[in-house]
Amino acid sequence: MIPRGVSVRDLLRSSSEGGGFVPPSSGDFELPPIFGDNVYTTKPIALVFLSVILISAFFIISSRKAAVVPSKLQFAGESVYTFVRNDLAKDVIGHDFLRFVPYLFTLFTFILVNNLFGIIPLLQFPSMSRVSFPYILALTVYLVFHYVGIRKQGAIKYFKDIMFMPGVPKAAYILITPLEILTFFLVRPLTLSLRLFANMFAGHLLLLVFILGGEHLFQGVIGLKLISPFAFGIGIVLTFFEFMVQCLQAYIFTLLAALYIAGALADEH
Amino acid sequence: MEGTLNLVGFGLAAIGPGIATGLIFAAYINGVARQPEARSVLQPIAFLGFALAEALALFGLVLAFVL
Amino acid sequence: MSSREENAMWSIFGYLLSGLLFWGGIGYGLDKWLGTGYLTLIGLLVGISGAVYLVWLRFGRQ
Repeated sequence: MIPRGVSVRDLLRSSSEGGGFVPPSSGDFELPPIFGDNVYTTKPIALVFLSVILISAFFIISSRKAAVVPSKLQFAGESVYTFVRNDLAKDVIGHDFLRFVPYLFTLFTFILVNNLFGIIPLLQFPSMSRVSFPYILALTVYLVFHYVGIRKQGAIKYFKDIMFMPGVPKAAYILITPLEILTFFLVRPLTLSLRLFANMFAGHLLLLVFILGGEHLFQGVIGLKLISPFAFGIGIVLTFFEFMVQCLQAYIFTLLAALYIAGALADEH
Repeated sequence: MEGTLNLVGFGLAAIGPGIATGLIFAAYINGVARQPEARSVLQPIAFLGFALAEALALFGLVLAFVL
Repeated sequence: MSSREENAMWSIFGYLLSGLLFWGGIGYGLDKWLGTGYLTLIGLLVGISGAVYLVWLRFGRQ
Protein backbone atom coordinates (compact mmCIF):
# COMPACT_ATOMS: atom_id res chain seq x y z
CA MET A 1 0.00 0.00 0.00
CA ILE A 2 2.75 2.43 0.91
CA PRO A 3 5.53 2.14 -1.65
CA ARG A 4 8.94 1.16 -0.41
CA GLY A 5 11.27 3.97 0.48
CA VAL A 6 8.51 6.37 1.47
CA SER A 7 8.00 7.02 5.13
CA VAL A 8 4.83 8.13 6.85
CA ARG A 9 6.43 11.48 7.44
CA ASP A 10 6.90 12.00 3.72
CA LEU A 11 3.30 11.00 3.16
CA LEU A 12 2.12 13.47 5.73
CA ARG A 13 4.23 16.20 4.20
CA SER A 14 2.94 15.49 0.75
CA SER A 15 -0.63 15.36 1.91
CA SER A 16 -0.63 18.95 3.00
CA GLU A 17 -2.55 21.52 1.17
CA GLY A 18 -1.21 24.44 3.07
CA GLY A 19 1.85 23.42 4.98
CA GLY A 20 1.04 20.14 6.66
CA PHE A 21 -0.61 19.24 9.87
CA VAL A 22 -0.33 21.93 12.51
CA PRO A 23 -0.59 20.19 15.84
CA PRO A 24 -2.76 21.87 18.46
CA SER A 25 -0.88 23.90 21.00
CA SER A 26 -1.61 26.25 23.84
CA GLY A 27 -2.69 28.91 21.38
CA ASP A 28 -5.80 26.84 20.75
CA PHE A 29 -6.98 27.63 24.24
CA GLU A 30 -7.19 31.37 23.72
CA LEU A 31 -10.65 31.95 22.41
CA PRO A 32 -11.81 35.27 21.01
CA PRO A 33 -14.40 37.39 22.78
CA ILE A 34 -17.96 37.05 21.62
CA PHE A 35 -19.28 40.58 21.91
CA GLY A 36 -16.99 43.12 20.38
CA ASP A 37 -13.57 43.13 21.92
CA ASN A 38 -14.46 43.12 25.58
CA VAL A 39 -12.23 40.51 27.12
CA TYR A 40 -14.83 39.43 29.67
CA THR A 41 -17.21 37.88 27.14
CA THR A 42 -15.12 34.94 25.94
CA LYS A 43 -16.30 31.37 25.72
CA PRO A 44 -14.75 30.12 28.99
CA ILE A 45 -16.46 32.88 30.95
CA ALA A 46 -19.76 32.12 29.22
CA LEU A 47 -19.29 28.46 30.14
CA VAL A 48 -18.63 29.28 33.77
CA PHE A 49 -21.79 31.37 34.03
CA LEU A 50 -23.70 28.63 32.24
CA SER A 51 -22.48 26.12 34.82
CA VAL A 52 -23.72 28.35 37.63
CA ILE A 53 -27.12 28.58 35.96
CA LEU A 54 -27.33 24.82 35.47
CA ILE A 55 -26.30 23.96 39.00
CA SER A 56 -28.65 26.50 40.59
CA ALA A 57 -31.61 25.45 38.46
CA PHE A 58 -31.05 21.75 39.07
CA PHE A 59 -30.64 21.87 42.81
CA ILE A 60 -33.37 24.42 43.46
CA ILE A 61 -35.85 22.34 41.50
CA SER A 62 -34.81 19.04 42.98
CA SER A 63 -35.18 20.24 46.55
CA ARG A 64 -38.58 21.89 46.45
CA LYS A 65 -41.51 20.01 47.93
CA ALA A 66 -39.21 17.44 49.48
CA ALA A 67 -41.33 14.32 49.82
CA VAL A 68 -40.47 11.42 52.05
CA VAL A 69 -40.61 9.07 49.09
CA PRO A 70 -38.45 10.98 46.62
CA SER A 71 -39.11 11.46 42.95
CA LYS A 72 -36.34 10.73 40.49
CA LEU A 73 -35.07 14.27 40.25
CA GLN A 74 -35.04 14.68 43.99
CA PHE A 75 -33.22 11.38 44.33
CA ALA A 76 -30.54 12.50 41.89
CA GLY A 77 -29.99 15.78 43.69
CA GLU A 78 -30.00 14.07 47.06
CA SER A 79 -27.45 11.44 46.04
CA VAL A 80 -24.93 14.08 45.00
CA TYR A 81 -25.49 15.92 48.24
CA THR A 82 -25.21 12.86 50.45
CA PHE A 83 -22.09 11.78 48.60
CA VAL A 84 -20.35 15.04 49.43
CA ARG A 85 -21.76 15.20 52.92
CA ASN A 86 -20.92 11.65 53.98
CA ASP A 87 -17.95 10.47 51.98
CA LEU A 88 -16.18 13.78 51.73
CA ALA A 89 -17.10 15.84 54.74
CA LYS A 90 -18.07 13.49 57.53
CA ASP A 91 -15.43 10.82 57.00
CA VAL A 92 -12.61 13.28 56.54
CA ILE A 93 -13.32 16.19 58.83
CA GLY A 94 -14.92 14.40 61.72
CA HIS A 95 -17.32 15.79 64.24
CA ASP A 96 -17.39 19.43 63.22
CA PHE A 97 -18.17 18.84 59.58
CA LEU A 98 -21.58 20.43 59.02
CA ARG A 99 -20.18 23.93 58.75
CA PHE A 100 -18.12 23.00 55.73
CA VAL A 101 -20.58 20.95 53.74
CA PRO A 102 -21.97 23.94 51.77
CA TYR A 103 -18.50 25.03 50.75
CA LEU A 104 -17.31 21.56 49.78
CA PHE A 105 -20.55 20.84 47.96
CA THR A 106 -20.23 24.04 45.96
CA LEU A 107 -16.63 23.25 45.08
CA PHE A 108 -17.44 19.72 43.99
CA THR A 109 -20.43 20.50 41.79
CA PHE A 110 -18.84 23.59 40.28
CA ILE A 111 -15.65 21.78 39.28
CA LEU A 112 -17.55 18.71 38.10
CA VAL A 113 -19.94 20.60 35.83
CA ASN A 114 -17.18 22.77 34.42
CA ASN A 115 -15.05 19.73 33.73
CA LEU A 116 -17.89 17.89 32.06
CA PHE A 117 -18.25 20.74 29.60
CA GLY A 118 -15.12 19.35 28.03
CA ILE A 119 -16.92 16.41 26.53
CA ILE A 120 -20.45 17.72 26.02
CA PRO A 121 -20.86 17.86 22.22
CA LEU A 122 -21.62 21.48 21.45
CA LEU A 123 -19.62 23.08 24.22
CA GLN A 124 -16.44 21.01 24.25
CA PHE A 125 -14.19 23.26 26.24
CA PRO A 126 -13.31 22.50 29.85
CA SER A 127 -13.32 25.92 31.43
CA MET A 128 -10.86 24.76 34.08
CA SER A 129 -8.21 24.56 31.37
CA ARG A 130 -7.83 28.33 31.60
CA VAL A 131 -5.45 28.56 34.49
CA SER A 132 -7.02 31.48 36.34
CA PHE A 133 -10.09 29.50 37.41
CA PRO A 134 -8.16 26.81 39.31
CA TYR A 135 -5.90 29.49 40.79
CA ILE A 136 -8.83 31.31 42.33
CA LEU A 137 -10.45 28.12 43.58
CA ALA A 138 -7.19 27.04 45.22
CA LEU A 139 -6.86 30.53 46.67
CA THR A 140 -10.26 30.24 48.34
CA VAL A 141 -9.35 26.82 49.75
CA TYR A 142 -6.09 28.32 51.05
CA LEU A 143 -7.88 31.22 52.75
CA VAL A 144 -10.50 28.92 54.23
CA PHE A 145 -8.17 26.47 55.81
CA HIS A 146 -5.82 29.07 57.22
CA TYR A 147 -8.74 31.04 58.58
CA VAL A 148 -10.21 27.94 60.18
CA GLY A 149 -6.91 27.05 61.79
CA ILE A 150 -6.38 30.55 63.13
CA ARG A 151 -9.91 30.74 64.49
CA LYS A 152 -9.59 27.42 66.24
CA GLN A 153 -6.14 27.65 67.74
CA GLY A 154 -5.28 31.32 67.82
CA ALA A 155 -2.90 32.87 65.33
CA ILE A 156 0.36 32.51 67.25
CA LYS A 157 -0.16 28.92 68.32
CA TYR A 158 -1.31 27.93 64.84
CA PHE A 159 1.76 29.29 63.09
CA LYS A 160 4.03 28.01 65.79
CA ASP A 161 2.57 24.53 65.37
CA ILE A 162 3.16 24.65 61.65
CA MET A 163 6.68 25.86 61.81
CA PHE A 164 7.86 23.98 64.87
CA MET A 165 6.02 20.70 64.90
CA PRO A 166 5.68 19.39 68.44
CA GLY A 167 7.10 15.96 69.16
CA VAL A 168 10.15 16.34 66.95
CA PRO A 169 13.67 16.48 68.41
CA LYS A 170 15.04 20.01 68.36
CA ALA A 171 17.91 19.23 66.02
CA ALA A 172 15.58 18.18 63.25
CA TYR A 173 13.94 21.61 63.18
CA ILE A 174 16.59 22.92 60.81
CA LEU A 175 15.53 20.30 58.31
CA ILE A 176 11.83 20.29 58.84
CA THR A 177 10.85 23.90 59.35
CA PRO A 178 11.72 25.23 55.88
CA LEU A 179 10.01 22.21 54.37
CA GLU A 180 6.88 22.77 56.41
CA ILE A 181 6.75 26.47 55.65
CA LEU A 182 7.17 25.81 51.94
CA THR A 183 4.54 23.08 52.00
CA PHE A 184 1.89 24.91 53.95
CA PHE A 185 2.19 28.31 52.37
CA LEU A 186 3.39 27.70 48.84
CA VAL A 187 3.25 24.14 47.59
CA ARG A 188 -0.22 23.16 48.71
CA PRO A 189 -2.25 25.80 46.85
CA LEU A 190 0.10 25.60 43.88
CA THR A 191 -0.18 21.86 43.39
CA LEU A 192 -3.89 21.92 44.10
CA SER A 193 -4.56 24.39 41.33
CA LEU A 194 -1.98 23.10 38.88
CA ARG A 195 -3.17 19.51 39.24
CA LEU A 196 -6.68 20.48 38.15
CA PHE A 197 -5.44 22.80 35.42
CA ALA A 198 -2.90 20.34 34.02
CA ASN A 199 -5.38 17.47 33.89
CA MET A 200 -7.95 19.53 32.03
CA PHE A 201 -5.39 21.09 29.71
CA ALA A 202 -3.79 17.77 28.85
CA GLY A 203 -7.12 16.05 28.34
CA HIS A 204 -8.43 18.70 25.99
CA LEU A 205 -5.15 18.71 24.08
CA LEU A 206 -5.25 14.93 23.67
CA LEU A 207 -8.76 15.03 22.29
CA LEU A 208 -7.79 17.85 19.94
CA VAL A 209 -4.77 15.96 18.65
CA PHE A 210 -6.65 12.81 17.80
CA ILE A 211 -9.74 14.40 16.34
CA LEU A 212 -8.00 17.09 14.35
CA GLY A 213 -5.37 14.58 13.29
CA GLY A 214 -8.01 12.13 12.16
CA GLU A 215 -9.69 14.81 10.14
CA HIS A 216 -6.39 15.83 8.58
CA LEU A 217 -5.53 12.23 7.74
CA PHE A 218 -8.91 11.81 6.13
CA GLN A 219 -8.05 14.46 3.57
CA GLY A 220 -4.83 12.79 2.53
CA VAL A 221 -3.82 10.04 0.15
CA ILE A 222 -5.69 6.75 0.21
CA GLY A 223 -3.06 5.21 2.44
CA LEU A 224 -3.72 7.79 5.09
CA LYS A 225 -7.46 7.84 4.57
CA LEU A 226 -7.64 4.26 5.80
CA ILE A 227 -5.82 5.13 9.02
CA SER A 228 -8.12 8.00 9.92
CA PRO A 229 -10.97 5.85 11.35
CA PHE A 230 -8.46 4.55 13.87
CA ALA A 231 -7.65 8.08 14.91
CA PHE A 232 -11.33 8.81 15.39
CA GLY A 233 -11.74 5.54 17.27
CA ILE A 234 -8.95 6.45 19.65
CA GLY A 235 -10.64 9.84 20.00
CA ILE A 236 -13.83 8.15 21.14
CA VAL A 237 -12.01 5.91 23.62
CA LEU A 238 -10.19 8.94 24.97
CA THR A 239 -13.49 10.75 25.45
CA PHE A 240 -14.61 8.05 27.87
CA PHE A 241 -11.25 8.16 29.58
CA GLU A 242 -11.58 11.94 29.83
CA PHE A 243 -14.95 11.54 31.50
CA MET A 244 -13.39 9.38 34.19
CA VAL A 245 -10.49 11.79 34.67
CA GLN A 246 -12.84 14.77 34.96
CA CYS A 247 -14.98 13.17 37.66
CA LEU A 248 -11.84 12.00 39.45
CA GLN A 249 -10.28 15.46 39.40
CA ALA A 250 -13.38 17.09 40.85
CA TYR A 251 -13.41 14.45 43.60
CA ILE A 252 -9.69 14.84 44.32
CA PHE A 253 -9.87 18.63 44.57
CA THR A 254 -12.71 18.48 47.05
CA LEU A 255 -11.10 15.62 48.99
CA LEU A 256 -7.85 17.53 49.35
CA ALA A 257 -9.71 20.67 50.40
CA ALA A 258 -11.49 18.62 53.08
CA LEU A 259 -8.18 17.07 54.17
CA TYR A 260 -6.54 20.47 54.54
CA ILE A 261 -9.47 21.75 56.56
CA ALA A 262 -9.34 18.62 58.72
CA GLY A 263 -5.64 19.15 59.23
CA ALA A 264 -6.22 22.73 60.33
CA LEU A 265 -8.96 21.66 62.72
CA ALA A 266 -7.04 18.79 64.22
CA ASP A 267 -6.25 19.00 67.89
CA GLU A 268 -2.79 18.52 69.28
CA HIS A 269 -0.66 16.23 67.15
CA MET B 1 15.51 14.83 14.35
CA GLU B 2 13.37 17.79 15.07
CA GLY B 3 11.87 18.87 18.31
CA THR B 4 12.95 20.72 21.37
CA LEU B 5 14.48 19.64 24.61
CA ASN B 6 11.02 20.01 26.15
CA LEU B 7 10.03 16.67 24.68
CA VAL B 8 12.99 14.86 26.22
CA GLY B 9 12.20 16.49 29.55
CA PHE B 10 8.59 15.51 29.36
CA GLY B 11 9.49 11.92 28.56
CA LEU B 12 11.88 11.70 31.48
CA ALA B 13 9.35 13.31 33.79
CA ALA B 14 6.85 10.57 33.05
CA ILE B 15 9.05 7.78 34.39
CA GLY B 16 8.56 8.49 38.08
CA PRO B 17 4.80 8.83 38.12
CA GLY B 18 4.46 5.73 35.96
CA ILE B 19 6.33 3.65 38.51
CA ALA B 20 4.44 5.33 41.33
CA THR B 21 1.05 4.52 39.83
CA GLY B 22 2.09 0.91 39.40
CA LEU B 23 3.19 0.68 43.03
CA ILE B 24 0.03 2.32 44.34
CA PHE B 25 -2.33 0.06 42.50
CA ALA B 26 -0.19 -3.00 43.24
CA ALA B 27 -0.61 -2.22 46.93
CA TYR B 28 -4.34 -1.69 46.45
CA ILE B 29 -4.74 -5.01 44.65
CA ASN B 30 -2.70 -6.78 47.33
CA GLY B 31 -4.84 -5.29 50.06
CA VAL B 32 -8.09 -6.23 48.40
CA ALA B 33 -6.78 -9.72 47.62
CA ARG B 34 -5.96 -10.38 51.23
CA GLN B 35 -9.22 -8.98 52.55
CA PRO B 36 -12.00 -8.36 50.04
CA GLU B 37 -14.11 -6.46 52.56
CA ALA B 38 -11.51 -3.70 52.63
CA ARG B 39 -12.30 -2.72 49.06
CA SER B 40 -14.47 0.30 49.76
CA VAL B 41 -12.18 1.48 52.53
CA LEU B 42 -9.05 1.37 50.42
CA GLN B 43 -10.57 2.76 47.24
CA PRO B 44 -10.56 6.49 48.13
CA ILE B 45 -6.98 6.18 49.37
CA ALA B 46 -5.91 4.48 46.15
CA PHE B 47 -7.48 7.17 44.00
CA LEU B 48 -6.05 9.95 46.13
CA GLY B 49 -2.57 8.51 45.80
CA PHE B 50 -3.01 8.04 42.08
CA ALA B 51 -4.08 11.63 41.53
CA LEU B 52 -1.22 12.99 43.59
CA ALA B 53 1.32 10.97 41.61
CA GLU B 54 -0.34 11.82 38.30
CA ALA B 55 -0.05 15.50 39.07
CA LEU B 56 3.70 15.39 38.61
CA ALA B 57 3.47 13.73 35.22
CA LEU B 58 1.02 16.37 34.11
CA PHE B 59 3.23 19.20 35.33
CA GLY B 60 5.85 17.82 32.95
CA LEU B 61 3.40 17.72 30.07
CA VAL B 62 2.05 21.21 30.63
CA LEU B 63 5.45 22.79 31.14
CA ALA B 64 6.67 21.14 27.95
CA PHE B 65 4.04 23.15 26.12
CA VAL B 66 4.27 26.36 28.02
CA LEU B 67 8.00 26.85 28.20
CA MET C 1 -40.38 15.00 35.62
CA SER C 2 -43.96 16.20 35.95
CA SER C 3 -44.99 19.04 33.71
CA ARG C 4 -45.23 21.48 36.60
CA GLU C 5 -41.65 20.78 37.52
CA GLU C 6 -40.65 21.13 33.91
CA ASN C 7 -42.35 24.51 33.65
CA ALA C 8 -40.67 25.63 36.82
CA MET C 9 -37.28 24.54 35.48
CA TRP C 10 -37.73 26.51 32.27
CA SER C 11 -38.80 29.60 34.11
CA ILE C 12 -35.77 29.31 36.37
CA PHE C 13 -33.57 29.17 33.29
CA GLY C 14 -35.36 32.23 32.00
CA TYR C 15 -34.84 34.19 35.20
CA LEU C 16 -31.16 33.37 35.43
CA LEU C 17 -30.42 33.99 31.78
CA SER C 18 -32.34 37.25 31.68
CA GLY C 19 -30.68 38.54 34.84
CA LEU C 20 -27.30 37.73 33.33
CA LEU C 21 -28.08 39.32 29.98
CA PHE C 22 -29.75 42.41 31.40
CA TRP C 23 -27.14 43.38 33.95
CA GLY C 24 -24.33 42.15 31.74
CA GLY C 25 -25.68 44.29 28.95
CA ILE C 26 -25.83 47.30 31.23
CA GLY C 27 -22.26 46.66 32.31
CA TYR C 28 -21.17 46.27 28.69
CA GLY C 29 -22.93 49.48 27.68
CA LEU C 30 -21.32 51.36 30.53
CA ASP C 31 -17.98 49.95 29.45
CA LYS C 32 -18.35 51.22 25.92
CA TRP C 33 -19.51 54.60 27.16
CA LEU C 34 -16.88 55.12 29.81
CA GLY C 35 -14.06 53.26 28.10
CA THR C 36 -13.26 50.99 31.03
CA GLY C 37 -12.73 47.27 30.79
CA TYR C 38 -14.06 45.63 33.90
CA LEU C 39 -17.60 46.93 34.26
CA THR C 40 -18.92 44.13 32.09
CA LEU C 41 -17.69 41.56 34.58
CA ILE C 42 -19.17 43.46 37.52
CA GLY C 43 -22.47 43.71 35.65
CA LEU C 44 -22.46 40.00 34.93
CA LEU C 45 -21.73 39.12 38.55
CA VAL C 46 -24.41 41.47 39.88
CA GLY C 47 -26.85 40.01 37.37
CA ILE C 48 -26.21 36.41 38.24
CA SER C 49 -26.26 36.93 41.99
CA GLY C 50 -29.48 38.93 41.80
CA ALA C 51 -31.05 36.33 39.55
CA VAL C 52 -30.05 33.43 41.82
CA TYR C 53 -31.44 35.27 44.84
CA LEU C 54 -34.70 35.99 43.01
CA VAL C 55 -35.03 32.38 41.95
CA TRP C 56 -34.41 31.21 45.49
CA LEU C 57 -37.04 33.62 46.82
CA ARG C 58 -39.65 32.54 44.33
CA PHE C 59 -38.98 28.86 43.98
CA GLY C 60 -36.83 27.70 46.81
CA ARG C 61 -39.08 28.29 49.73
CA GLN C 62 -42.41 26.53 49.93
